[in-house]
Amino acid sequence: MAFTRKPQVYSSSINEVTIGVGEKAVTFGGSNIMPLYTFDAPAKNKVAIGVEITDSGVDRTLPGIAAYYEGAETISEIAARAAEMPGADFVVLALNGADPNGDNRPVEECVEIAKQVADAIDVPLAIVGARNVEKDTALFTAISEALQGKNVLFVSAREEDYKTIAASAVMAYSNKISAESAVDINLAKQLNVLLSQMGIKPESYVMNVGAAAAGYGYDYVASTLDRVKDAALAQNDVMLQMPIITPVSQEAWAVKEAIVTEEDYPDWGDRETRGVDMEVCTAAAVIAGGSDAVILRHPQSVATISGLIADLM
Amino acid sequence: MGKFVIIGERIHCISPIIKKAMEEMNPDPIIKRAKDQIAAGATYIDVNIGPAEKNGPELMKWAVQTIQEACDNVPLALDTANRAAIEAGISVYNRSKGKPIVNSADAGDRIENVDLAAANDAIVIALCSKAGVPADNDERMTYCQELLERGMNAGMDPEDMWFDPLFLVIKGMQDKQMDVLDFVGQLSDMGLNSTGGLSNVSNGTPKHIRPILDSATVAMAMCKGLTSAIMNPCDTRLVETIKAADIIKNNFLYADSFLEL
Repeated sequence: MAFTRKPQVYSSSINEVTIGVGEKAVTFGGSNIMPLYTFDAPAKNKVAIGVEITDSGVDRTLPGIAAYYEGAETISEIAARAAEMPGADFVVLALNGADPNGDNRPVEECVEIAKQVADAIDVPLAIVGARNVEKDTALFTAISEALQGKNVLFVSAREEDYKTIAASAVMAYSNKISAESAVDINLAKQLNVLLSQMGIKPESYVMNVGAAAAGYGYDYVASTLDRVKDAALAQNDVMLQMPIITPVSQEAWAVKEAIVTEEDYPDWGDRETRGVDMEVCTAAAVIAGGSDAVILRHPQSVATISGLIADLM
Repeated sequence: MGKFVIIGERIHCISPIIKKAMEEMNPDPIIKRAKDQIAAGATYIDVNIGPAEKNGPELMKWAVQTIQEACDNVPLALDTANRAAIEAGISVYNRSKGKPIVNSADAGDRIENVDLAAANDAIVIALCSKAGVPADNDERMTYCQELLERGMNAGMDPEDMWFDPLFLVIKGMQDKQMDVLDFVGQLSDMGLNSTGGLSNVSNGTPKHIRPILDSATVAMAMCKGLTSAIMNPCDTRLVETIKAADIIKNNFLYADSFLEL
């Protein structure tokens, strides 16, 4: 009997969320197929790649990054260079220095840096906070006001601070937010329910269901992504149809494989190569699992993953 | 599996308010009752116009359009013995939120309603009975097979045939309850969808007892694989039981606010 191909196309689809303005605005989500199953139906939007820079610039101890950003000294120059990275769709400013347990950069300074970055680029901007509830609330509120009209994405609102962040970033200044639930699928859904009960529209938020580098609990991330996509598409669960953004870089570059030096671990070889490998394999895995956007750091990772997306989508 | 499908039964000509509204073609009481049921958790709304021998087609068309226009094209179950009225209802039915349900066919006089559903790309509720209550599950299964064969010969997707095991009243037929539940299990094993008039089980029991018996029955039946019920969605205990059972069956992902969804 002849094989009859039956495309697995769902009647429900992932929401579309757009960040940025103008021609270079980027839209996440929108598809009604399993991740990368473009043989069933075309993907509505390709997976987007955000390039991460921080408030203190980039990590020039890595030769590949140092070479790419050579000559870019100010935060504006660094941001502009990141925006033109081949394969990049948007720029991500991670305010690591704002952490009260670290440099504790004041909110006003962070706002100034965010403004400079936003003015230097023509692609959309995402802001990653200090991962501190009180500081992030203050940061996101102030930056949201300063960048009103830029349609910025704030990563992330959590169970502890979603109310204030959603009220300021989305309701007051029409920006976008990401709801974070560290690999807790029930919390992921609950946060979406709470945001929707606040009156936040589906086109105004994405979710970050958590990330982990390969080998560091990635199996939990994989099962979470699978269950979310199954609920969103097969079970038409509207409270899980938000696009997913995964901050890969902060996980991939924080594990031992990406940190220890070649001097200490001569058998492991070049540190930068290891870091890129961690970043690439983690990103490829979350894309296969259903992430609609990834945040990456290294130009080589961006080149590899954008090539993968171009070939498979 | 998808979520349990609640078919709201409260638009029924046996209700004096609805009967009057249908006689006068007064939309307000009917729309209100549809909206109440949707807000309470109904996916489908059953529209029972009774035998409607005189003006069946006209009345069903009016009811379908009235409810769908007022309720964002909520999907409907068209419930009458008047076949012309069902066809008339389908002719004006908006499918954007789901196929119409023909309520109902059986293996006896009403088997032609299977053909009617097939011809109109509708879902059919197929009662596993011929005349009266089947004696046992063998008899139920015989009728199920007859109906299934009829539907498949007419080109129906078996998914669109929702088999009704006939829930029986506890007061008087207590010894048959587990048979009915076991039959639901047999339908489920065959990969078939099922539904039924749930409140039959508690007929004749005191008002405060009915939600308890209905809830226990639906939970036990869902465990056996029941996929839908024709019921009162405004019964909070019953709807909460179904939502909880959907969570336990992994039909719907848990979140703390699941009862509000």
